[in-house]
Amino acid sequence: MDYNYITRIDIWLKKYTNRMASIVVDSLTKTYGETVGVESLSFAVERGEIFGFLGPNGAGKTTTIRTILGLIAPTAGNVRVFDVSVRDRSALTATKAEIGYVPAEIGFPEDVTGNELLDYHAAVKGDSRRGDLLERFSPPLERPIREYSSGNAQQLAIIQAFMHDPALVVLDEPTSGLDPLKQEQFNEFLRAERDRGTTIFFSSHILSEVRHVCDRVGILRDGSLVALESMETLLDGGGKRVHVQTETGDPTPFKTLEGAFDVTTVGSSIRCTYAGPYDRLLETLADCSVQEIEIREPPLEDIFMHFYGNDDTEATDV
Amino acid sequence: MFETTRFEIARRRRSTLWLSVGVAVLTAFFLWYYSVLDTESLAVAMDALPPSMLEALNIVTLATIEGFLATELYTFLWVFGFGLYFAYSTGGLIADDIEHDRLDLILTFPHSRTRLFLEKLLAVGAPIVAINVIAGLVVYGGSVLLGEPIEPVRVVLVHLLSIPYFAVCASIGALFSVVVSRSAIAQRAGAGVVLVLFLVESVTAAGETYDWLGSLTPMAYYEPTPLLLEGTYEVLDTVVLLGATIVFTIVASWLFTHRDV
Repeated sequence: MDYNYITRIDIWLKKYTNRMASIVVDSLTKTYGETVGVESLSFAVERGEIFGFLGPNGAGKTTTIRTILGLIAPTAGNVRVFDVSVRDRSALTATKAEIGYVPAEIGFPEDVTGNELLDYHAAVKGDSRRGDLLERFSPPLERPIREYSSGNAQQLAIIQAFMHDPALVVLDEPTSGLDPLKQEQFNEFLRAERDRGTTIFFSSHILSEVRHVCDRVGILRDGSLVALESMETLLDGGGKRVHVQTETGDPTPFKTLEGAFDVTTVGSSIRCTYAGPYDRLLETLADCSVQEIEIREPPLEDIFMHFYGNDDTEATDV
Repeated sequence: MFETTRFEIARRRRSTLWLSVGVAVLTAFFLWYYSVLDTESLAVAMDALPPSMLEALNIVTLATIEGFLATELYTFLWVFGFGLYFAYSTGGLIADDIEHDRLDLILTFPHSRTRLFLEKLLAVGAPIVAINVIAGLVVYGGSVLLGEPIEPVRVVLVHLLSIPYFAVCASIGALFSVVVSRSAIAQRAGAGVVLVLFLVESVTAAGETYDWLGSLTPMAYYEPTPLLLEGTYEVLDTVVLLGATIVFTIVASWLFTHRDV
């Protein structure tokens, strides 16, 4: 039995039996000469979760991903994928049988058809789920890739990433180019994959994109992690947006309400952000002769701005 | 095994086919031109040329079909033209994949970088073999049709022994391909080095003083002229070419394995 085979069995056992982390990033620093890609980055992606990796372009997301995949070596610190160090490239090679990848910049050879490309990937990695995937995603496989729209290329990338049924899939901006309907299908597919035990590492610069699929998110800013929260906590922490129209338009009850802030009035309409229990809010509202009310989640961009405001103290205090 | 080699060969099947067709047409043209050439007056004209010039251009005689082909087809097209071409084309082997964002995906395969590199390099063997087979057939068939058949063994050898020569040129291009991330630069560097080596060998071949410089070039180890005219060759030359190919390939593979891509 060769080493490659043993490693694959080992990964399979871990996939189905252990609760070990799929990816452990430990004090990772990557510099390019004077330029810092990421600095002292630490987090773990647990087995069977969808982990959102958020940050604006240039924050260091792709650098982190390329280190996880062993394409670039860490300057300091380390990354372990299924307990294999990325510094050990030969050990990592065998582990890659259990990894799928959708790169941010998809470079397929343009002179082959989608089918020819998938056949090549199948010969190397396997394609036990190709048929299933082709029912969900339908790029024109008979045509040369140079004729593909960005959406079709993206679908082809998704198929090749999942068709060998990997334990971990790394997605770098995977929905760019997909129309809203395909995006929703893709999100549904990701949730189903997670439920099958696949770990998904989902990198994006758009919070709303990962809002509905990710279990946890790490937020990256200038190469450092500024938040690592469950999606729920992240959204709750931002509070709810409350718009109330009362008979009097008097904002005083809201100004004294614990957990309410940013109270403003426009005519008889009162607006505030509320981060407290609903009961207390409802008690206050009961005394206000409410004519209209709207309670909703804050715009995701507001939450994002919380981490990317110009005030460094605020951003790192989170 | 050889999944990447098979894929790369299939990807280039059309360009390999057109290259082979082009070589066949050009070889047939050379043969036709030889058949209409006034070889006697050509021999007189050549006598008037300085011997150093003839040596630099590897010309022994143009008056026989072997001599004519050794100069026009093998020295100019094979040694110079295709030497340059294969160094140029392998300059893009890795650099082109880096430049067009193709490499990241390939490097997530459960295959080592060494294996991927060697398989990609091996795929260059397909056009090398294809042009040799087609040109060999046209040369032999043409010489028979012209009534001046060349010894078939010599035709086979002149093509067979060109393969290690092209392998060296290809490995020079591949070396640049792994150290430079822009394919245009890697390709020009590969072709440029082969051009310089060709010129060094041509210039030093005529003199005695600096002929050791010529021995540092791969052209010194593949000589179609004596092979076609006299059927002579040195097995050691081929060993040197194969050795150089292995060294360049190992160095390129090591650099590729240890660099950030």
